Amino acid sequence: MLIDTNTFLGAWPFSPDPEYTSGKFLDHLNENGIERALVSHFGTVFAPDPIPANKRLLRATKSRPALVPVPVINLNLATWREQIERCLQAASVPAVKILPNYHNYKLSSSRMEAFLEVLHSRGLKLILNVRLNDERGQYFALKVKGVPITGIVSFLNRFPETHPLLTGLYRPELKELAGECGNFSTDIAFCEWRKTVEDLLTVMPSERLVLGTCSPLLSTRAQVDKLRLADISTKSKKQISYLNAKRFFKL
Amino acid sequence: MNPHDQIIDIHTHPIFMGDGKSKKEINAFVTECRSSGIVRMNSLGDVLLYGYNPDADQIRSINNQNGRLQRLHPDYFTSFCYLNPTLGELEVMKETERCLARFDSKGIKLEIANNASAACMKHVAKAASEFGLIVLQHTWSTQGSFSSQVPRKLQSDPVDTALFARRYPEVKIIMAHLSGFGHRGVAEVKDLPNVSIDTSGGYPEEGLVEYAVEQLGADRVYYGSDFPIREHSVTIGRILGARISEADKRKILYENAIRLLGHN
Repeated sequence: MLIDTNTFLGAWPFSPDPEYTSGKFLDHLNENGIERALVSHFGTVFAPDPIPANKRLLRATKSRPALVPVPVINLNLATWREQIERCLQAASVPAVKILPNYHNYKLSSSRMEAFLEVLHSRGLKLILNVRLNDERGQYFALKVKGVPITGIVSFLNRFPETHPLLTGLYRPELKELAGECGNFSTDIAFCEWRKTVEDLLTVMPSERLVLGTCSPLLSTRAQVDKLRLADISTKSKKQISYLNAKRFFKL
Repeated sequence: MNPHDQIIDIHTHPIFMGDGKSKKEINAFVTECRSSGIVRMNSLGDVLLYGYNPDADQIRSINNQNGRLQRLHPDYFTSFCYLNPTLGELEVMKETERCLARFDSKGIKLEIANNASAACMKHVAKAASEFGLIVLQHTWSTQGSFSSQVPRKLQSDPVDTALFARRYPEVKIIMAHLSGFGHRGVAEVKDLPNVSIDTSGGYPEEGLVEYAVEQLGADRVYYGSDFPIREHSVTIGRILGARISEADKRKILYENAIRLLGHN
């Protein structure tokens, strides 16, 4: 069984590939052995307000329990509370995602403390997306760097009770962060080196790693095989494949 | 036969930045790669060990290391001859001849000593033509916002590699790093029949292998990993997961390479 913690519906403006419908996307994930996926909507990334795309996400996933909606909240907008409430009124969601580098604010934002309090009171987990693609290969019309590690370290130290899921960390970033803070989990979408997962387990306990493929931007099969073929214990593989995600998001 | 029963990886650096040199490490490396389905591996050498612009002695040392891999596992490793075109015609010709005689090199590897559009590439074209060798040119898009730390005059954009290919249509070229040059790079060489590409480098962007096959045909696409910088499960998985025919997967993973490298 596999639970994917990092997927998207909608159209990515810099891909020539057609947009998946929720049904086709689920078929694609199933073909690659993924039974459940946490999914956000690309429409939230570039639009000035994420509410319409979050609505589309909730509609698209309503009759598909295998696709677990994760709305994106834009903290650069004064309406961030309303963004959360609108989603919660429409559906049950286990988490929300933030994209500080795409929405032009820092993790040191004055809104962060109140935001985390709301998440805590509503029983929502936080997913902090560090990047959506390799900056070296970004389409030239896109100029967005990953969220700086120094900012993530300060954030994690400032809010030690918070335990977010970080998605999109590079392997060296993950290693650096693991040496500084213990209050985070992470996906493996942008980690790659010889024996990736074996290597990550030298700095991170298996309880804090989860599968994330960043589909459909990255090849789902390639990302799944990175974990499926890893030479690690059965226990660790089960944890990373689905047990950790199940526990973390109470799925 | 499944396309992944036998795989040849044409783009590897078994010894990387000095790591992995001992016999024990090399043996473990071969065992690990065999278990991933890699039946043959083409070593391009530890090309950045001495920086961007290695001298003649350093070039020889890197190529000798490739030779050592082949001596230890003659049934497994082939190699390309690493060259620095800026060292001039004499050095380029001498080292190519030496690599052919001593290591039966199957091609020429170029990294970032110079841009592929530079005048010194005429030495490479001469060596490639005279000895009938294919040229594998490191290529990465320089149009990305945060493309690379490598200076533009050393980093070959697909435009530069295409220019080299146009200047010397008799020279066969592999433009390396599909994920590095992307859709624009594929388009740049589409009408240049002397240019093939390899699938190495960067993250496994969805749809890119399909695009390359659609634009160039599977005969012009080689599987390469950039191992150990990249992982075989991922680099093979992106081919196996691509929406292309099983016959095309087989060409990319094995048949094209066996035509290039020959049977051991």
